[in-house]
Amino acid sequence: MDTQDYIESGILEQYALGELTEVERAEVERQAAAHPAIQQELDTVMEALAAYAVQELPASAPPAGMRERVLEGWQAAIREQPAASSAPAQPEQEAVVRPMLTSHRDVADETTRINWMMAASVALLLLSVAGNILFYYQWKNAENDLAIALNGQQQMASTMQAVEKRLGQRSEEVAVLRNDEFRDVALKGTDNAPDASARVLFNPTTHTVYLDVRNLPTPPVGKQYQLWALDNGKPIDAGTLSQTTAQGDNLQLMNSIASAQAFAMTVEQIGGSPVPTLSTMAVMGQVL
Amino acid sequence: MSFSEDALVQRLRARDEAAMTLFYDKYSAALYGVILRIVKKEEIAEDVLQESLVKIWHSFASYDASKGRLFTWVLNVCRNLAIDKIRSRQYRVGSRTQTLEDSSAMRQAAPSGFRPEHIGLQEMTNKLSPEQKQVIDLLYFGGFTQSEVAEELDLPLGTVKTRARAGIKVLSKLIR
Repeated sequence: MDTQDYIESGILEQYALGELTEVERAEVERQAAAHPAIQQELDTVMEALAAYAVQELPASAPPAGMRERVLEGWQAAIREQPAASSAPAQPEQEAVVRPMLTSHRDVADETTRINWMMAASVALLLLSVAGNILFYYQWKNAENDLAIALNGQQQMASTMQAVEKRLGQRSEEVAVLRNDEFRDVALKGTDNAPDASARVLFNPTTHTVYLDVRNLPTPPVGKQYQLWALDNGKPIDAGTLSQTTAQGDNLQLMNSIASAQAFAMTVEQIGGSPVPTLSTMAVMGQVL
Repeated sequence: MSFSEDALVQRLRARDEAAMTLFYDKYSAALYGVILRIVKKEEIAEDVLQESLVKIWHSFASYDASKGRLFTWVLNVCRNLAIDKIRSRQYRVGSRTQTLEDSSAMRQAAPSGFRPEHIGLQEMTNKLSPEQKQVIDLLYFGGFTQSEVAEELDLPLGTVKTRARAGIKVLSKLIR
Protein backbone atom coordinates (compact mmCIF):
# COMPACT_ATOMS: atom_id res chain seq x y z
CA MET A 1 0.00 0.00 0.00
CA ASP A 2 1.30 3.40 -0.95
CA THR A 3 1.88 5.58 2.11
CA GLN A 4 0.96 8.78 0.32
CA ASP A 5 -2.32 7.29 -0.95
CA TYR A 6 -3.13 6.29 2.58
CA ILE A 7 -2.44 9.80 3.85
CA GLU A 8 -4.46 11.34 0.99
CA SER A 9 -7.42 9.01 1.64
CA GLY A 10 -8.62 11.33 4.42
CA ILE A 11 -8.73 8.57 7.00
CA LEU A 12 -6.23 10.37 9.24
CA GLU A 13 -8.56 13.39 9.47
CA GLN A 14 -11.41 11.06 10.32
CA TYR A 15 -9.21 9.50 12.97
CA ALA A 16 -8.30 12.92 14.38
CA LEU A 17 -11.97 13.94 14.48
CA GLY A 18 -12.93 10.71 16.23
CA GLU A 19 -15.17 9.46 13.45
CA LEU A 20 -13.71 5.96 13.18
CA THR A 21 -14.81 2.75 14.80
CA GLU A 22 -12.60 0.92 17.27
CA VAL A 23 -11.40 -1.50 14.58
CA GLU A 24 -10.68 1.29 12.09
CA ARG A 25 -8.79 3.26 14.74
CA ALA A 26 -6.65 0.22 15.58
CA GLU A 27 -5.82 -0.17 11.88
CA VAL A 28 -4.78 3.50 11.59
CA GLU A 29 -2.58 3.16 14.67
CA ARG A 30 -1.05 0.00 13.22
CA GLN A 31 -0.26 1.80 9.94
CA ALA A 32 1.12 4.81 11.81
CA ALA A 33 3.38 2.58 13.87
CA ALA A 34 4.60 0.84 10.74
CA HIS A 35 5.13 3.97 8.63
CA PRO A 36 6.80 7.02 10.20
CA ALA A 37 5.42 9.24 7.43
CA ILE A 38 1.88 8.24 8.36
CA GLN A 39 2.63 8.76 12.06
CA GLN A 40 4.05 12.19 11.35
CA GLU A 41 1.10 13.20 9.20
CA LEU A 42 -1.33 11.93 11.83
CA ASP A 43 0.45 13.89 14.58
CA THR A 44 0.39 17.01 12.40
CA VAL A 45 -3.34 16.69 11.72
CA MET A 46 -4.04 16.24 15.45
CA GLU A 47 -1.88 19.19 16.40
CA ALA A 48 -3.44 21.36 13.70
CA LEU A 49 -6.96 20.60 14.89
CA ALA A 50 -5.98 21.20 18.51
CA ALA A 51 -4.41 24.52 17.61
CA TYR A 52 -7.49 25.50 15.63
CA ALA A 53 -9.80 24.46 18.44
CA VAL A 54 -7.95 26.64 20.94
CA GLN A 55 -7.86 29.45 18.44
CA GLU A 56 -11.61 29.29 18.11
CA LEU A 57 -12.41 29.68 21.76
CA PRO A 58 -15.10 31.97 23.16
CA ALA A 59 -13.73 34.55 25.60
CA SER A 60 -16.02 33.62 28.48
CA ALA A 61 -14.23 33.38 31.83
CA PRO A 62 -14.63 30.15 33.81
CA PRO A 63 -17.41 30.25 36.41
CA ALA A 64 -16.39 31.37 39.91
CA GLY A 65 -15.07 28.62 42.13
CA MET A 66 -14.81 26.17 39.26
CA ARG A 67 -11.16 25.38 40.00
CA GLU A 68 -11.89 24.22 43.53
CA ARG A 69 -15.04 22.35 42.56
CA VAL A 70 -13.42 20.52 39.66
CA LEU A 71 -10.22 19.64 41.51
CA GLU A 72 -12.15 18.47 44.59
CA GLY A 73 -14.57 16.53 42.42
CA TRP A 74 -11.66 14.94 40.60
CA GLN A 75 -9.98 14.00 43.88
CA ALA A 76 -13.19 12.56 45.30
CA ALA A 77 -13.69 10.59 42.07
CA ILE A 78 -10.20 9.08 42.03
CA ARG A 79 -10.50 8.25 45.74
CA GLU A 80 -13.82 6.58 45.05
CA GLN A 81 -12.56 4.39 42.24
CA PRO A 82 -8.76 4.32 42.25
CA ALA A 83 -7.08 2.90 39.13
CA ALA A 84 -10.43 2.18 37.51
CA SER A 85 -8.83 1.65 34.12
CA SER A 86 -6.27 -0.92 35.26
CA ALA A 87 -8.52 -2.97 37.56
CA PRO A 88 -12.06 -1.71 37.41
CA ALA A 89 -13.76 -4.62 39.17
CA GLN A 90 -11.73 -4.59 42.36
CA PRO A 91 -12.19 -1.01 43.55
CA GLU A 92 -15.83 -1.00 42.55
CA GLN A 93 -16.42 -4.19 44.47
CA GLU A 94 -14.61 -2.69 47.39
CA ALA A 95 -16.66 0.47 47.29
CA VAL A 96 -19.91 -1.45 47.17
CA VAL A 97 -18.95 -4.13 49.62
CA ARG A 98 -17.32 -1.99 52.25
CA PRO A 99 -20.46 -0.18 53.50
CA MET A 100 -22.36 -3.48 53.42
CA LEU A 101 -19.65 -5.13 55.49
CA THR A 102 -19.77 -2.37 58.05
CA SER A 103 -23.54 -2.47 58.10
CA HIS A 104 -23.39 -6.23 58.53
CA ARG A 105 -20.92 -5.75 61.30
CA ASP A 106 -23.23 -3.15 62.82
CA VAL A 107 -26.09 -5.62 62.68
CA ALA A 108 -23.84 -8.31 64.13
CA ASP A 109 -22.73 -5.91 66.84
CA GLU A 110 -26.33 -5.05 67.53
CA THR A 111 -27.29 -8.73 67.69
CA THR A 112 -24.34 -9.48 69.93
CA ARG A 113 -25.31 -6.61 72.17
CA ILE A 114 -28.93 -7.76 72.37
CA ASN A 115 -27.75 -11.33 73.06
CA TRP A 116 -25.49 -10.01 75.76
CA MET A 117 -28.28 -7.96 77.25
CA MET A 118 -30.65 -10.93 77.16
CA ALA A 119 -28.04 -13.20 78.71
CA ALA A 120 -27.40 -10.58 81.38
CA SER A 121 -31.15 -10.23 82.01
CA VAL A 122 -31.60 -14.00 82.35
CA ALA A 123 -28.56 -14.22 84.63
CA LEU A 124 -29.91 -11.39 86.77
CA LEU A 125 -33.34 -13.02 86.91
CA LEU A 126 -31.83 -16.37 87.95
CA LEU A 127 -29.69 -14.63 90.54
CA SER A 128 -32.72 -12.79 91.83
CA VAL A 129 -34.78 -16.00 92.04
CA ALA A 130 -31.92 -17.82 93.76
CA GLY A 131 -31.53 -14.88 96.11
CA ASN A 132 -35.25 -14.88 96.89
CA ILE A 133 -35.22 -18.63 97.60
CA LEU A 134 -32.20 -18.18 99.83
CA PHE A 135 -33.76 -15.27 101.64
CA TYR A 136 -37.06 -17.18 101.98
CA TYR A 137 -35.29 -20.12 103.65
CA GLN A 138 -33.25 -17.83 105.81
CA TRP A 139 -36.42 -16.02 106.81
CA LYS A 140 -38.12 -19.35 107.55
CA ASN A 141 -35.12 -20.46 109.59
CA ALA A 142 -35.11 -17.18 111.44
CA GLU A 143 -38.82 -17.60 112.15
CA ASN A 144 -38.13 -21.11 113.49
CA ASP A 145 -35.20 -19.87 115.52
CA LEU A 146 -37.32 -17.06 116.86
CA ALA A 147 -40.09 -19.51 117.83
CA ILE A 148 -37.51 -21.74 119.51
CA ALA A 149 -36.00 -18.75 121.25
CA LEU A 150 -39.40 -17.51 122.37
CA ASN A 151 -40.25 -21.02 123.56
CA GLY A 152 -36.96 -21.25 125.41
CA GLN A 153 -37.57 -17.85 126.92
CA GLN A 154 -41.01 -18.95 128.01
CA GLN A 155 -39.58 -22.12 129.54
CA MET A 156 -36.95 -20.07 131.20
CA ALA A 157 -39.55 -17.68 132.51
CA SER A 158 -41.70 -20.45 133.89
CA THR A 159 -38.64 -22.09 135.35
CA MET A 160 -37.72 -18.77 136.88
CA GLN A 161 -41.24 -18.43 138.16
CA ALA A 162 -41.07 -21.92 139.68
CA VAL A 163 -37.69 -21.19 141.16
CA GLU A 164 -38.91 -17.86 142.51
CA LYS A 165 -41.95 -19.53 143.91
CA ARG A 166 -39.83 -22.20 145.58
CA LEU A 167 -37.39 -19.54 146.73
CA GLY A 168 -40.26 -17.60 148.23
CA GLN A 169 -41.48 -20.79 149.84
CA ARG A 170 -38.04 -21.57 151.18
CA SER A 171 -37.64 -18.04 152.47
CA GLU A 172 -40.99 -18.42 154.19
CA GLU A 173 -39.92 -21.79 155.58
CA VAL A 174 -36.64 -20.33 156.76
CA ALA A 175 -38.55 -17.45 158.34
CA VAL A 176 -40.85 -19.99 160.07
CA LEU A 177 -37.94 -22.10 161.23
CA ARG A 178 -36.09 -19.08 162.56
CA ASN A 179 -39.21 -17.67 164.25
CA ASP A 180 -39.09 -18.27 168.01
CA GLU A 181 -42.87 -18.02 168.32
CA PHE A 182 -43.28 -21.42 166.67
CA ARG A 183 -43.51 -24.44 168.92
CA ASP A 184 -41.75 -27.52 167.66
CA VAL A 185 -44.02 -30.55 167.97
CA ALA A 186 -42.29 -33.86 167.15
CA LEU A 187 -44.63 -36.52 165.72
CA LYS A 188 -43.41 -40.10 166.21
CA GLY A 189 -44.36 -43.24 164.29
CA THR A 190 -47.05 -45.51 165.68
CA ASP A 191 -47.18 -49.29 165.35
CA ASN A 192 -48.70 -48.79 161.92
CA ALA A 193 -45.54 -46.98 160.72
CA PRO A 194 -42.72 -47.36 163.24
CA ASP A 195 -40.15 -45.51 160.99
CA ALA A 196 -42.47 -42.59 160.31
CA SER A 197 -41.38 -39.23 161.63
CA ALA A 198 -42.61 -35.63 161.20
CA ARG A 199 -42.99 -32.44 163.15
CA VAL A 200 -45.49 -29.60 163.39
CA LEU A 201 -44.52 -25.96 163.85
CA PHE A 202 -47.32 -24.35 165.72
CA ASN A 203 -47.66 -20.64 166.56
CA PRO A 204 -50.28 -20.33 169.29
CA THR A 205 -50.37 -16.55 168.90
CA THR A 206 -51.10 -16.47 165.19
CA HIS A 207 -52.70 -19.93 165.12
CA THR A 208 -50.45 -20.81 162.25
CA VAL A 209 -49.55 -24.44 161.66
CA TYR A 210 -46.73 -25.76 159.41
CA LEU A 211 -46.01 -29.39 158.76
CA ASP A 212 -42.53 -30.75 158.14
CA VAL A 213 -42.37 -34.41 157.11
CA ARG A 214 -39.16 -36.34 157.77
CA ASN A 215 -40.26 -39.76 156.73
CA LEU A 216 -43.65 -41.21 155.86
CA PRO A 217 -44.52 -44.48 154.14
CA THR A 218 -46.14 -44.02 150.72
CA PRO A 219 -49.93 -44.09 151.28
CA PRO A 220 -52.03 -46.81 149.49
CA VAL A 221 -53.54 -45.93 146.10
CA GLY A 222 -56.49 -43.57 146.48
CA LYS A 223 -55.45 -42.50 149.97
CA GLN A 224 -53.58 -39.48 151.40
CA TYR A 225 -52.38 -38.31 154.82
CA GLN A 226 -54.49 -35.89 156.87
CA LEU A 227 -53.32 -33.83 159.89
CA TRP A 228 -55.43 -33.48 162.96
CA ALA A 229 -55.14 -31.19 165.94
CA LEU A 230 -56.37 -32.55 169.23
CA ASP A 231 -57.85 -29.88 171.45
CA ASN A 232 -59.01 -31.24 174.74
CA GLY A 233 -59.28 -34.72 173.22
CA LYS A 234 -61.33 -33.52 170.27
CA PRO A 235 -59.87 -33.97 166.77
CA ILE A 236 -59.87 -30.87 164.53
CA ASP A 237 -59.13 -31.10 160.77
CA ALA A 238 -55.85 -29.36 160.04
CA GLY A 239 -55.87 -30.22 156.27
CA THR A 240 -54.60 -32.94 153.95
CA LEU A 241 -50.95 -33.26 153.00
CA SER A 242 -49.86 -32.49 149.42
CA GLN A 243 -47.74 -35.12 147.72
CA THR A 244 -44.60 -33.01 147.99
CA THR A 245 -45.20 -32.46 151.68
CA ALA A 246 -45.75 -36.18 152.23
CA GLN A 247 -42.42 -36.84 150.45
CA GLY A 248 -40.72 -34.40 152.76
CA ASP A 249 -39.83 -31.81 150.12
CA ASN A 250 -41.19 -28.75 151.86
CA LEU A 251 -42.99 -27.21 154.79
CA GLN A 252 -46.75 -27.02 154.25
CA LEU A 253 -48.96 -24.34 155.72
CA MET A 254 -51.87 -26.17 157.25
CA ASN A 255 -55.30 -24.98 158.50
CA SER A 256 -55.27 -22.49 161.33
CA ILE A 257 -55.66 -24.05 164.68
CA ALA A 258 -56.77 -21.94 167.63
CA SER A 259 -55.66 -24.27 170.35
CA ALA A 260 -54.13 -27.77 170.44
CA GLN A 261 -52.32 -30.01 172.86
CA ALA A 262 -51.40 -32.73 170.42
CA PHE A 263 -51.20 -33.43 166.62
CA ALA A 264 -51.71 -36.66 164.74
CA MET A 265 -51.84 -37.93 161.14
CA THR A 266 -54.13 -40.57 159.71
CA VAL A 267 -54.52 -42.13 156.26
CA GLU A 268 -57.83 -41.05 154.72
CA GLN A 269 -59.70 -40.99 151.39
CA ILE A 270 -58.37 -38.48 148.84
CA GLY A 271 -59.89 -35.14 149.77
CA GLY A 272 -59.85 -35.83 153.46
CA SER A 273 -62.35 -36.96 156.02
CA PRO A 274 -64.46 -35.04 158.57
CA VAL A 275 -63.48 -37.47 161.28
CA PRO A 276 -60.18 -39.31 161.68
CA THR A 277 -59.93 -43.04 161.07
CA LEU A 278 -58.00 -43.85 164.20
CA SER A 279 -57.00 -47.36 162.99
CA THR A 280 -54.80 -45.76 160.28
CA MET A 281 -52.95 -43.29 162.56
CA ALA A 282 -49.31 -43.08 161.41
CA VAL A 283 -47.71 -40.47 163.71
CA MET A 284 -48.63 -38.59 166.87
CA GLY A 285 -46.98 -36.07 169.25
CA GLN A 286 -47.75 -33.84 172.16
CA VAL A 287 -47.35 -30.05 172.21
CA LEU A 288 -44.86 -29.58 174.98
CA MET B 1 4.99 28.43 33.50
CA SER B 2 8.04 27.54 35.50
CA PHE B 3 7.90 23.84 34.75
CA SER B 4 8.31 21.91 31.58
CA GLU B 5 5.71 19.67 30.00
CA ASP B 6 8.13 16.72 30.38
CA ALA B 7 8.38 17.25 34.13
CA LEU B 8 4.61 17.46 34.38
CA VAL B 9 4.21 14.25 32.39
CA GLN B 10 6.72 12.47 34.62
CA ARG B 11 4.94 13.58 37.79
CA LEU B 12 1.55 12.57 36.42
CA ARG B 13 2.98 9.22 35.40
CA ALA B 14 4.24 8.85 39.00
CA ARG B 15 0.64 9.43 40.23
CA ASP B 16 1.60 12.72 41.84
CA GLU B 17 -1.76 14.23 42.72
CA ALA B 18 -0.26 17.69 43.30
CA ALA B 19 0.85 17.67 39.67
CA MET B 20 -2.81 17.59 38.68
CA THR B 21 -3.22 21.04 40.21
CA LEU B 22 -0.35 22.32 38.07
CA PHE B 23 -1.89 20.58 35.09
CA TYR B 24 -5.21 22.26 35.84
CA ASP B 25 -3.69 25.69 36.14
CA LYS B 26 -1.85 25.27 32.89
CA TYR B 27 -4.50 23.72 30.66
CA SER B 28 -7.95 24.05 32.22
CA ALA B 29 -8.85 27.38 30.61
CA ALA B 30 -8.24 26.06 27.09
CA LEU B 31 -9.82 22.69 27.81
CA TYR B 32 -12.85 24.29 29.42
CA GLY B 33 -13.17 26.68 26.50
CA VAL B 34 -13.23 23.86 23.96
CA ILE B 35 -15.64 21.79 26.05
CA LEU B 36 -17.97 24.75 26.52
CA ARG B 37 -17.85 25.39 22.77
CA ILE B 38 -19.05 21.84 22.26
CA VAL B 39 -21.62 21.41 25.06
CA LYS B 40 -22.78 25.07 25.19
CA LYS B 41 -23.75 24.97 28.87
CA GLU B 42 -21.39 26.08 31.62
CA GLU B 43 -22.49 23.62 34.29
CA ILE B 44 -22.24 20.74 31.83
CA ALA B 45 -18.86 21.98 30.62
CA GLU B 46 -17.65 21.96 34.21
CA ASP B 47 -18.90 18.40 34.72
CA VAL B 48 -17.24 17.26 31.51
CA LEU B 49 -13.97 18.94 32.53
CA GLN B 50 -14.01 17.10 35.85
CA GLU B 51 -14.86 13.77 34.20
CA SER B 52 -12.02 14.44 31.77
CA LEU B 53 -9.53 14.97 34.59
CA VAL B 54 -10.61 11.67 36.13
CA LYS B 55 -10.24 9.90 32.79
CA ILE B 56 -6.88 11.54 32.11
CA TRP B 57 -5.67 10.47 35.55
CA HIS B 58 -6.80 6.87 35.18
CA SER B 59 -5.70 6.39 31.58
CA PHE B 60 -2.52 8.40 31.77
CA ALA B 61 -0.45 5.28 31.14
CA SER B 62 -1.82 5.22 27.58
CA TYR B 63 -0.38 8.66 26.81
CA ASP B 64 2.64 8.30 24.53
CA ALA B 65 4.73 11.47 24.61
CA SER B 66 6.50 10.45 21.40
CA LYS B 67 3.23 10.71 19.47
CA GLY B 68 2.34 14.24 20.35
CA ARG B 69 2.08 16.92 22.92
CA LEU B 70 0.34 16.34 26.23
CA PHE B 71 -2.15 19.09 25.49
CA THR B 72 -3.17 17.50 22.18
CA TRP B 73 -3.83 14.20 23.91
CA VAL B 74 -5.82 15.64 26.82
CA LEU B 75 -7.75 17.92 24.47
CA ASN B 76 -8.86 14.84 22.54
CA VAL B 77 -9.95 13.17 25.79
CA CYS B 78 -12.00 16.27 26.68
CA ARG B 79 -13.46 16.63 23.19
CA ASN B 80 -14.45 12.96 23.05
CA LEU B 81 -16.24 13.17 26.41
CA ALA B 82 -17.92 16.44 25.43
CA ILE B 83 -19.13 14.94 22.15
CA ASP B 84 -20.31 11.80 23.97
CA LYS B 85 -22.32 14.18 26.13
CA ILE B 86 -24.02 16.02 23.27
CA ARG B 87 -24.60 12.78 21.41
CA SER B 88 -26.46 11.30 24.35
CA ARG B 89 -30.13 11.22 23.48
CA GLN B 90 -31.52 13.75 25.96
CA TYR B 91 -28.87 16.30 24.98
CA ARG B 92 -29.52 16.05 21.25
CA VAL B 93 -33.19 16.89 21.50
CA GLY B 94 -33.60 20.56 20.59
CA SER B 95 -29.87 21.32 20.66
CA ARG B 96 -28.87 20.38 17.18
CA THR B 97 -30.05 23.38 15.23
CA GLN B 98 -28.55 25.65 17.85
CA THR B 99 -25.13 24.24 17.07
CA LEU B 100 -25.07 25.85 13.65
CA GLU B 101 -26.22 29.23 14.85
CA ASP B 102 -23.73 29.38 17.69
CA SER B 103 -20.70 28.08 15.89
CA SER B 104 -20.15 31.26 13.85
CA ALA B 105 -21.14 33.68 16.58
CA MET B 106 -18.74 32.45 19.24
CA ARG B 107 -15.39 32.93 17.57
CA GLN B 108 -13.13 35.00 19.73
CA ALA B 109 -9.56 35.15 20.90
CA ALA B 110 -8.15 32.39 23.13
CA PRO B 111 -8.53 33.02 26.85
CA SER B 112 -5.49 33.78 28.93
CA GLY B 113 -3.75 30.92 30.70
CA PHE B 114 -2.87 28.93 27.65
CA ARG B 115 -1.28 30.21 24.48
CA PRO B 116 -0.65 27.80 21.64
CA GLU B 117 3.05 27.60 21.10
CA HIS B 118 2.73 28.15 17.33
CA ILE B 119 3.43 31.46 15.76
CA GLY B 120 0.78 33.16 13.72
CA LEU B 121 -2.08 30.98 14.85
CA GLN B 122 -4.21 34.01 15.46
CA GLU B 123 -4.50 34.15 11.69
CA MET B 124 -5.66 30.56 11.37
CA THR B 125 -9.30 31.37 11.12
CA ASN B 126 -8.66 33.82 8.33
CA LYS B 127 -6.69 31.31 6.28
CA LEU B 128 -9.67 29.01 5.97
CA SER B 129 -12.37 29.67 3.43
CA PRO B 130 -15.82 30.17 5.02
CA GLU B 131 -16.93 26.83 3.48
CA GLN B 132 -13.92 24.98 4.95
CA LYS B 133 -14.41 26.67 8.28
CA GLN B 134 -18.10 25.78 8.39
CA VAL B 135 -17.36 22.11 7.71
CA ILE B 136 -14.48 21.91 10.20
CA ASP B 137 -16.49 23.62 12.95
CA LEU B 138 -19.35 21.18 12.48
CA LEU B 139 -16.96 18.26 12.52
CA TYR B 140 -14.85 19.41 15.42
CA PHE B 141 -17.21 21.29 17.74
CA GLY B 142 -20.53 19.89 16.59
CA GLY B 143 -19.52 16.28 16.87
CA PHE B 144 -20.95 15.61 13.43
CA THR B 145 -19.70 12.86 11.17
CA GLN B 146 -18.91 13.85 7.58
CA SER B 147 -22.12 12.15 6.46
CA GLU B 148 -24.11 14.15 8.98
CA VAL B 149 -22.46 17.37 7.83
CA ALA B 150 -23.38 16.51 4.25
CA GLU B 151 -26.95 15.95 5.32
CA GLU B 152 -27.00 19.08 7.46
CA LEU B 153 -25.60 21.35 4.74
CA ASP B 154 -27.38 19.48 1.96
CA LEU B 155 -24.07 18.82 0.18
CA PRO B 156 -22.67 15.69 -1.47
CA LEU B 157 -20.54 13.66 0.95
CA GLY B 158 -17.57 14.02 -1.42
CA THR B 159 -17.72 17.80 -1.25
CA VAL B 160 -17.75 17.69 2.55
CA LYS B 161 -14.74 15.35 2.57
CA THR B 162 -12.84 17.57 0.17
CA ARG B 163 -13.55 20.72 2.17
CA ALA B 164 -12.60 19.05 5.43
CA ARG B 165 -9.33 17.69 4.10
CA ALA B 166 -8.44 20.97 2.38
CA GLY B 167 -9.14 22.94 5.55
CA ILE B 168 -7.10 20.65 7.77
CA LYS B 169 -4.28 20.82 5.23
CA VAL B 170 -4.24 24.57 5.52
CA LEU B 171 -4.09 24.32 9.32
CA SER B 172 -1.35 21.70 9.13
CA LYS B 173 0.76 23.96 6.97
CA LEU B 174 0.38 26.76 9.45
CA ILE B 175 1.81 24.74 12.35
CA ARG B 176 4.53 22.97 10.43
